[in-house]
Amino acid sequence: MIDDHERIEELLAGYVLRSLSGADASEADLLLSEHVPGCGECRRTLDGFQVVTADLGFAVEPVRPPETLLPRLHRQLEPHAPRRRPMQMFAVAAGVVAVVGLAGLTVSQNIRANNADVRADAFANAAQLAARDDARMVDVGPVQEISAPGEEHFYLVGEGVPGPPAGSIYRVWLVSDGVTTFVGDFLPDELGRVFLPIDFDPNRYDDLWIAVEPIDAPTGAPVSTEWWSARGTTPAA
Amino acid sequence: MRDGDRDDLELHRSLSQGDRGAFDELYRRYSPSAYGLAYRITGQQVLAQDVVHDAYMALWRAPEAFDPARGAFRTFFLSLVHHRAVDTVRREERIRARQERASNLEPVAVEDPAEGVIDAADLADRRVEIRAALDTLPPEQRQVLEMAYFGGMTQVQIAEDIEIPVGTVKTRTLAAMRKLRRVLDRSATEDQ
Ligand SMILES: [Zn+2]
Repeated sequence: MIDDHERIEELLAGYVLRSLSGADASEADLLLSEHVPGCGECRRTLDGFQVVTADLGFAVEPVRPPETLLPRLHRQLEPHAPRRRPMQMFAVAAGVVAVVGLAGLTVSQNIRANNADVRADAFANAAQLAARDDARMVDVGPVQEISAPGEEHFYLVGEGVPGPPAGSIYRVWLVSDGVTTFVGDFLPDELGRVFLPIDFDPNRYDDLWIAVEPIDAPTGAPVSTEWWSARGTTPAA
Repeated sequence: MRDGDRDDLELHRSLSQGDRGAFDELYRRYSPSAYGLAYRITGQQVLAQDVVHDAYMALWRAPEAFDPARGAFRTFFLSLVHHRAVDTVRREERIRARQERASNLEPVAVEDPAEGVIDAADLADRRVEIRAALDTLPPEQRQVLEMAYFGGMTQVQIAEDIEIPVGTVKTRTLAAMRKLRRVLDRSATEDQ
């Protein structure tokens, strides 16, 4: 883990500008999930930088949007209640830390870091996705997969998700042409909530598997007998 | 806390309960800033409209994404617009006209840019302060900052574009962000 604050600050500056890529972006994600939440100095730096980036937006001369935009929005403002089920879940989960990554870098890269800024964006994006007419919501064991055609990412959300037995975790794979790709591990939070933004294009895979696995199980394919499939394919015995 | 921020909190609370009047008021307050920014970054009216549209829809559908404990509403909302605009630019890389990314903050050429824009006085004051803060940056720092922020470019792209090492882009970016943070923090404190 990085402990050089000059270097961390450099990453945070690039991060708030959304200008990191490649290894820097991964390093920042890791930093934001593992170091920043527990470091007062870094949290202050991050919040301070975020104010700067918002302020920069106000430096631009305001321009009135076309008259058609507000009516277009009005046509789409559906009443807030009753909402579809995942939306209620977002509302509940928004205030909590719901992702626990156990597999270190792998999880951090694929299941995005759970810092507040990223989370806020992710919630908004997930809610928007779920509200689309063509959104797909599929139950996969204890959670629901939310995806939509053309979107290169998807979400796993759940509430009332039971914690797995001690020493085990929920493990996620994507399957394509019989090849399994390990995505990451998760645990529900203390209130049984799960919210995972996943940066894989679901349209490129045939199936999604979730299994309750021993923490030290190999990540190649499910080894336990407790697993679920989103599209009905079966892990090889 | 600014009066405007307190009003924003109240409006956000009402919006969270499904109040369309509050939505309209937040639209009136921030859509010109949001659209100005989105247009500046995307360089296209259609894309800018989509960015602002999506940002307001996201606000309506998931108002809880804004956490008042972490800062002012306007900070949250303009950051949201910035992120979406940058993501749009990355997606639409092919239609990005490089020459439109001139490093200045003059109004972009659209029909009657500020005509009828109701610009809250405190936002206008802030704009003056922010521009003054930008003017305090050495040109080479300001250049990389604006290429990242308004151009939606990654640090690697910036390095390639102006032919300097990525490490130099990082150093300049950090120096610029530190200075702006210091200067803007001071001017915000003086306002209160
Ligand atoms: Zn730190």
